[in-house]
Amino acid sequence: MAALIPVALLALIVGLVLLISFDALFRPTIRRLAVRNVTRRRGEAALVVLGSLLGTAIITASFIVGDTLGASTRDIARTDLGPTDEVVRIVGLGRGPEIAESLRTPPIPNVDGLLELVVSGAAVATPDGPDRRAEPVAQVVEVDFDAARAFGNDPGVTGLAAAGATPTGDEVVIGEELADKLDVDRGDSITLFAYGKERSLTIRSVVPHVGIAGFGSPNVFVPLGTVRALAGPAAEPAGGSTAPAGTDDSGAAPPASLVFVSNAGGVFEGAKHTASVAAALRDRVEGSPGVEIRTAKRDLLDDADANAAEFTQIFGGIGAFSVIAGILLLINIFVMLADERKSELGMLRAVGLKRNQLVRAFGMEGGIYSVLSAAAGVIAGIGVGRVIVVVAQSIFNQDDPQFRLQLAFALEPGTLLLGFIVGASISLITVWGASIRLGRLNVIRAIRDIAEAPATGRRRTRSMILGALGIVVGGLMLQSGVSNDAWFGALAGVPIAAFSSVSLLRRLIPLRLAVLAGCGTALFWGIAVFSILPDAMEGTDFPAFVTQGVILVAAAVAIVATNDDLLSGVVNRLGVSNRTLSIRLGFAYPLARVFRTSMLLGMYAIVVFTLTFLSVFSNLFSAQAPKFTREASAGYHVLVNSNASNPVPAGALLAHSDVVAVTSFQRAFPRFTTDFQPKPTNWPLSGFNASFLERSIPALSDRDPAYPDDASAWRAVLGDPTKVVVSDFFLQGGGPPEARLDVGEPLQVINPLTRERRELRVAAVMTGDWLFNGAMVGDAFATTFFGGDAPTSRHLVAIKPGIDADDAAARLEGALLQHGVQASSVASEIERGLGQQESFITLMQGYLALGLIIGIAGLGVVMVRSVRERRRQIGMLRAMGFQSRVVRSTFLVEAGFIAVQGIALGVVLALVTSYQLLTKSETFGDQTIDFAVPWTSITVLFVVALAASLIASATPANQAARIKPAVALRIAD
Amino acid sequence: MAPLLDAQSVTKIYRTGVVEVPALHSVSLTIDAGEFVAVMGPSGCGKTTLLNCLSGLDDIDGGSVLVDGADIHAMSDARRTEHRANHMGFVFQSFNLIPVLSAVENVELPLLLTGTRSSTARERASAMLERVGLGHRPTHRPNELSGGEQQRVAVARALVSEPAIVWADEPTGNLDSTMATTVLDLLREVNAAGQTIVVVTHDDGIGASAQRIVRMQDGEIVGASAERLTASRKQ
Repeated sequence: MAALIPVALLALIVGLVLLISFDALFRPTIRRLAVRNVTRRRGEAALVVLGSLLGTAIITASFIVGDTLGASTRDIARTDLGPTDEVVRIVGLGRGPEIAESLRTPPIPNVDGLLELVVSGAAVATPDGPDRRAEPVAQVVEVDFDAARAFGNDPGVTGLAAAGATPTGDEVVIGEELADKLDVDRGDSITLFAYGKERSLTIRSVVPHVGIAGFGSPNVFVPLGTVRALAGPAAEPAGGSTAPAGTDDSGAAPPASLVFVSNAGGVFEGAKHTASVAAALRDRVEGSPGVEIRTAKRDLLDDADANAAEFTQIFGGIGAFSVIAGILLLINIFVMLADERKSELGMLRAVGLKRNQLVRAFGMEGGIYSVLSAAAGVIAGIGVGRVIVVVAQSIFNQDDPQFRLQLAFALEPGTLLLGFIVGASISLITVWGASIRLGRLNVIRAIRDIAEAPATGRRRTRSMILGALGIVVGGLMLQSGVSNDAWFGALAGVPIAAFSSVSLLRRLIPLRLAVLAGCGTALFWGIAVFSILPDAMEGTDFPAFVTQGVILVAAAVAIVATNDDLLSGVVNRLGVSNRTLSIRLGFAYPLARVFRTSMLLGMYAIVVFTLTFLSVFSNLFSAQAPKFTREASAGYHVLVNSNASNPVPAGALLAHSDVVAVTSFQRAFPRFTTDFQPKPTNWPLSGFNASFLERSIPALSDRDPAYPDDASAWRAVLGDPTKVVVSDFFLQGGGPPEARLDVGEPLQVINPLTRERRELRVAAVMTGDWLFNGAMVGDAFATTFFGGDAPTSRHLVAIKPGIDADDAAARLEGALLQHGVQASSVASEIERGLGQQESFITLMQGYLALGLIIGIAGLGVVMVRSVRERRRQIGMLRAMGFQSRVVRSTFLVEAGFIAVQGIALGVVLALVTSYQLLTKSETFGDQTIDFAVPWTSITVLFVVALAASLIASATPANQAARIKPAVALRIAD
Repeated sequence: MAPLLDAQSVTKIYRTGVVEVPALHSVSLTIDAGEFVAVMGPSGCGKTTLLNCLSGLDDIDGGSVLVDGADIHAMSDARRTEHRANHMGFVFQSFNLIPVLSAVENVELPLLLTGTRSSTARERASAMLERVGLGHRPTHRPNELSGGEQQRVAVARALVSEPAIVWADEPTGNLDSTMATTVLDLLREVNAAGQTIVVVTHDDGIGASAQRIVRMQDGEIVGASAERLTASRKQ
């Protein structure tokens, strides 16, 4: 059913385009009417186009963001892999040549090169001194430069084209990233720290971050044999990967031999052979323990495509609110156009133009606006996309290279075409819908400019039948949504039935009560559905929030619009002065023009709703930093990560004067699969020991009922190799968790070296994972399952009372440089994570603010047209003695009244909905977050939106004030 | 006794770009309090322009207009607007009611403008609606009233603040003969009560009802246009 919607829309658009083309070619009367109405008032046509183009701009911008993310992520294939398509990793150094030979002979189809390397982790620092700089996590690489340049068929993408011969003696070649960080250049000395040893080397050259030179950066290319000399016995772990971590009791990860495989084809095209090549590689290494096949290029390109799709969806979803505002504006503009030309339309019908011809003339006029606004919108969208990319770059400029991404603005020609088609189609369908509605006019009433008669006879029967049909459809949707756990039916079923019921209820009770009953039900359901039907609403994403926003705003606007007249009584009680007269008149127009006012309220409310919603969550998460710190820290203060090749022993940390306790974790990066994520996905795993539970029990949001308390659950996992603790964010991308593991559910963990799988069951769920521990298992399981591939490289450190955790972290880094220690306070880690989250929300708010611009521009457009429409009335008011400033104030009061109502509606809806989501539902997982109103953000939003609305209305208000009564009245008489 | 309105050598020129179209050529006219004056003449002769200039709705290019002894074109726009609110009422061919206000709200507007208390304004507006025969439709909006009813609301609005002078521009132009008679009777009735009325019209019926006819042609008052009709003719 849902799959048919795009097909039906496409058919509708094609049909409309064909009809317009036919009329343009063969129906000169329709063409003339449409074209001349567009060109009659060019300034106003420009306003219509301006008001309509933002929707297309937003759609195009979200596509461009996707293009840019996709292209930038795909470019990592060039910068980090170059000609390399697959990577064969062999633990230890002894078996590398033998396995490489087994891969080389006989040749594997579609493989055009193999390259052997040796790598290990290391810390690197400049010579000891006051300005000493260090990189705790670098990669030491041994490779034959001549062989590397010959690898693949393009030396330019290896990054080593100009690097000269393989380093010898004390020479070293380093990557540009490392050179920047250490602030070193050719001729400078650096010191390597690995496996408890250190070695000083002199930089011979600096190579760019491209291809082989960029793989695993920051890189240090050392003379052949250097790694073996540094690693000593650790170079050959006994028993391959299944050996206990390290062989020298240091817990160090052993070095590895790598074989890079280049597939036939260029940097990007070679990945198409990955499936067959990877299968052949696996066949060749079958039976060899400790060998991992990584389909690096294919995985990276798949991730790039997934990232692009995800960002397009996020920005498209957020942009949908603005697009809806744009649609409401377009409807409003067309209704105003029709009102203004009512008598003309009546005359056209009177002289013989059929209803469908009238609709087609209006539709063609709208089609011209649609095409013009879509074209202008695409151009504006390029600009909006650029701004988003610039802001997003500042968010992606992270310290952690794992998450750093260089964005390069990119757009595909197809993107612009798609943006144009989508934007123009939305406009076209909107204006045709409006035209069909407007074509149903009574000729006499139109000519005499009398209000349309209330529905009687057939129209009333039809509306009742449609109402009954709506109730049935809504009920069926609800039933289907509940039984299939499908969010759309569950969310929209009741509101559709409730909205439809209004046409029946109004026959029995007054309209005010009917609307209150129908729309009130829809409103309640929209707010509470996440609590009422949690299963059906689980895993919902942007489309659900957009649908919810539309339901809430439509219901609230209908209720407000139906009851707004109650305000008249209040306003009429105001005292009498020129000022209060402008207030009375300023209220009178929006109260009398219910449809227009509703459209404007809807435009404001839907955008403000989303902006406030985002503010609530941004504010909530920021305010919870101390709580998250308390829950995640387990009573420790500083997080210490160290180089896997030279991990810092717990004893070394304990020996530091600031430290009172240490708990250590074994870290591995295996692959996981779950029911909701069947594709093996890399995610961290931490093996904890009993000391983790000694100071304070880390908070759990859920646990197996078999455990009486959180401590029992943790201890059970520690002692049971089949149990695991995860968080709601396990295997998640950005945004709220889409699907999550619950207590008792299974997951598969895969050792990439042995390809062994193990099923674990979730014993408990953590409140969060701000330290990115990943899956938490007992250290015994980590040791037996991963062996040397799970070094004890992570620690949590408790410091003495009275010492600042950040200061202590800095001192630990300086003192344990040789171990590549990276230390930071738990609080700062959480603040950093929250800061990134907040930055992203701010970016989305900025993007969404475009929707507010649509609302404000829409109000301006409506005001401009109102001035034209009311010239005669303004003339009369001036003739009667209204001062020009009163006329001006009347328009400003009107704009302010609409803006304040719309903003207030959006704010209230967002606060109620977010409160409900946070306190009464499981939508945001099991995180316990206290609700708080972001007063500052709301005040800023309120003031800025209101001020902008008044500024946008100032020009038409001044125009109205300047109208000369005699001129205005001469137009009429 | 000084006339209520004393216009001397009023000149008005419309300018469109470089084109100048003289609309009034040094027109002089005096109107006494309580008079019912009809301004008549062919289309385009300057009748409406004369009304606009004498009432202060439009600026003039020469001459002076004294209303109740005050030179309205020497006033600032704000002062002149205030003067209009206090001394004048208007009725136009197209009624020009405010569509979003009900009949009684339209009528009370001039009172509210001059600072009358809301409750008093509502009472007087309701009474005026009664007087024009619309006491039963105070809450109806303009689009719910017939043309004749709308014009009666417009007359009520013009009269409610008891202005010194009521200006009416083709008040029966959009009405059928029955409605036109009703409105005309209304104007005659209030004039009989002492209200000064100046009507721009093509309608000979109104002309016949006026105490004085001012005839215009090509922007000038022509012929015996300033003659005062005898009381017997009026009757």
